[in-house]
Amino acid sequence: MTSAELDELLQHPSVWRASSAQGALKTLPTGFRRLDERLPGGGWPLDTLIELLLPAHGVGELNLLVPALRELGKGDPGPRRWIAWIGPPHVPYAPALAGAGLDPARMLVVRPRGLRGGDSPLRGQSPSQPSSQSPDSALWAMEQALRSRACAVALGWTDAADGNSLRRLKLAAEEGGSLGVLFRPQHRAGEPSPAALRLLLEPRGRALDVLILKSRGGTPGRVEGVVGRTGPGRGRPASEFLSPERAEASPTPPRF
Amino acid sequence: MSSSTPDLFDSLPVPVQPSAGLALVPPGPQGTARRLARELWLCLLLPRLSLEALAGGGAGSDREICVVEGSGSQQRIAAVSEAAARRGVTPGLGLNAALALRPELELLGRQPSAEAAMLQRLAHWATQFTPLVSIEPPQALLAEVRGSLGLFGGAEALRRRAARELDGFRLCSIATLAPTPRAALWLARAGLQVPMESMDELPAIASRLPLACLDWPQAATRALATLGVQTIADLVRLPRDGFARRFGPALLDELDEGFGRRPQPRRRAVVPERFDDSLELPAESGSSRLIEIALEHLLERLQAFLRARAAGTRGLAIELRHRGIPATRFRLGLARPSGDGHHLLALLHERLAHLPLPAPVLSLRMRSTVVTPLELRAGFLPGEAEREVDPEAAARLLERLRARLGGDAVFSVCLVSEHRPELAWRVAEPSLLRSGCAPAVPGASRFLPSKAGGTRPRGDLAARLVAEAPLAPRPLWMLAEPQCLQECDGAPWHDGDPLDLASSPERIETGWWDGRDVRRDYYAAGGRGGVRLWVYHDRGRDGGWWLHGVFG
Repeated sequence: MTSAELDELLQHPSVWRASSAQGALKTLPTGFRRLDERLPGGGWPLDTLIELLLPAHGVGELNLLVPALRELGKGDPGPRRWIAWIGPPHVPYAPALAGAGLDPARMLVVRPRGLRGGDSPLRGQSPSQPSSQSPDSALWAMEQALRSRACAVALGWTDAADGNSLRRLKLAAEEGGSLGVLFRPQHRAGEPSPAALRLLLEPRGRALDVLILKSRGGTPGRVEGVVGRTGPGRGRPASEFLSPERAEASPTPPRF
Repeated sequence: MSSSTPDLFDSLPVPVQPSAGLALVPPGPQGTARRLARELWLCLLLPRLSLEALAGGGAGSDREICVVEGSGSQQRIAAVSEAAARRGVTPGLGLNAALALRPELELLGRQPSAEAAMLQRLAHWATQFTPLVSIEPPQALLAEVRGSLGLFGGAEALRRRAARELDGFRLCSIATLAPTPRAALWLARAGLQVPMESMDELPAIASRLPLACLDWPQAATRALATLGVQTIADLVRLPRDGFARRFGPALLDELDEGFGRRPQPRRRAVVPERFDDSLELPAESGSSRLIEIALEHLLERLQAFLRARAAGTRGLAIELRHRGIPATRFRLGLARPSGDGHHLLALLHERLAHLPLPAPVLSLRMRSTVVTPLELRAGFLPGEAEREVDPEAAARLLERLRARLGGDAVFSVCLVSEHRPELAWRVAEPSLLRSGCAPAVPGASRFLPSKAGGTRPRGDLAARLVAEAPLAPRPLWMLAEPQCLQECDGAPWHDGDPLDLASSPERIETGWWDGRDVRRDYYAAGGRGGVRLWVYHDRGRDGGWWLHGVFG
């Protein structure tokens, strides 16, 4: 077959070539109906960088991610992958992880000062650099984790990310096929960022509002009561965690 | 010729009389099958290098240019342009004779350093064919290409491609192939561009070559001529011992190397791992179009340089030199290594468009960062990429993180069956998770004693985990040490605000047997700014309120 004939054949509409295939927007349901409705593709964008801006550590940012973390990299099918915690303000607590349906053995915690090294005090206004590690090593470690293809998600806590390093992280996430989630203080909200999704978390009373600052392919805006909380300390039935489908189907958002 | 003396090559199935197998090159095995040599050498001879190194493209134009070497009355013509050659000026002619012939000749002094630099640059270019490139001064490159034939579509295709590319650089070249480097060089000097791939063809073809191909000292050539030796075929009939006595063992070794009877180790052209090259513009110019064309040339060289190493560059530094004032410099940074000339040209084009030029440009210089290996990845079918995880990726990541941050900085966590919250977990070695299904994970099963005893249900891992976890909620974050809270009117304060204790307490009272007994009432508490905390009131010796975790 001559190359002219081959070219002609390749023009046929029923022939698609892998090199030109545009992957559809890959998303993963957040597990929170109100949020899913507002996000393009109906969930967290995958293989990219997400930015969560917080007034302080512990306003519910982890619970917002728990349903997605449970799904990501659980290895069915394919190999299981790590959930990397890069420079978290505290150590993730294994019994709570198990309680949320996350296998503690899948966690990869990276704390440059080690275990006892640096719990950061909770500050009301700005959760700053979690430990006294150099910001470079946290960014470096996060980029490595994202690029390695060994991590399904890399959660990063750093304040020292400028536009260029964010772009590098996003590129690493795209290359490594992993999701990067960056937790940054809320006063960074005004700065431009290449992240595909930027959410500002605003606890309001006992509920958590989410302000969509930027959403690739979607519209910014406020989502109220994403995580409705009946009150701190109320135990949640484990079954609620286990079936995101049920949570989605229920008329009320899952309670946290 | 005495029958007791071995000939120089007692092997040639050529016009030589097989005189008892004692010639200079002994006969090889008379196999019927064509023996393919283990090596195949490409020789690229640049007969006009001394001119081309100085005049560039001028060598093939209508200008009558000559390169002159020697000094005083010994000055001779070393190389001539085509136009000059047409008018009878030939290399080897005395300068005065040449000037008498063509008084309008343009004369250039020979610069061996420029020739060497050019050869080095061409050696870089030739590494796109094979990493085994060596320089044969003064004007040839030798490259071993046996391993690359499959990639370039055969020996002849490769030879033609090399010659064509050199032609594109406007360099006059002769490209030959032979099983030994020296034979390839002989063929090139004779201008015989026949493909010669097998060892069997070598003696037949080589022996017909004139003696001049050997490039031996004039004294030796003259002495051989007086013996009536005109070709290599004549030469190989000479007795070995007599030849060695008269002309020295070095020349005999050369012959043996040429016929593959003696290995000829070649030194590889040293290849720096950083690209650095410059280009003179044909004329001073401020036209960005012209500068772009010159950059394109440099990028071609860069691309060949990078391809030879399967490498990419993380950035380029460009220098545009002007007359009399400092050069204009700019850098091009890349997010990830690239060796794609088109991509780089597109980026450079953008930069040039916004670059103010203070003066016309004389020459350009392009430098790369230290090159980094390019990881080439095969394309995936849609949906396939996720599953395609390199099994070594996890190990590599762990090594890399620990190498920089220290061994303690990277860890995993696991459950411990214990009621005291601070002892209910411990640090674990990260498990290199490879398996696709949960029950095969060793880490999880070790720390999760099953209620069903030995027969663990092969259920959903998440369901099992929840079943094992404490019933009361636990915070996702645990403080390394409990943090003492301010107390005001019997209520705990945090961050300047009273905590809102909304839940009924969970009492944990245990550990009396090992001296670290605890008696605590745990509360989930809402703090300032919507933070949810896990605090306890110590009912033991110390008393007071303590912060122990953050719900996150």
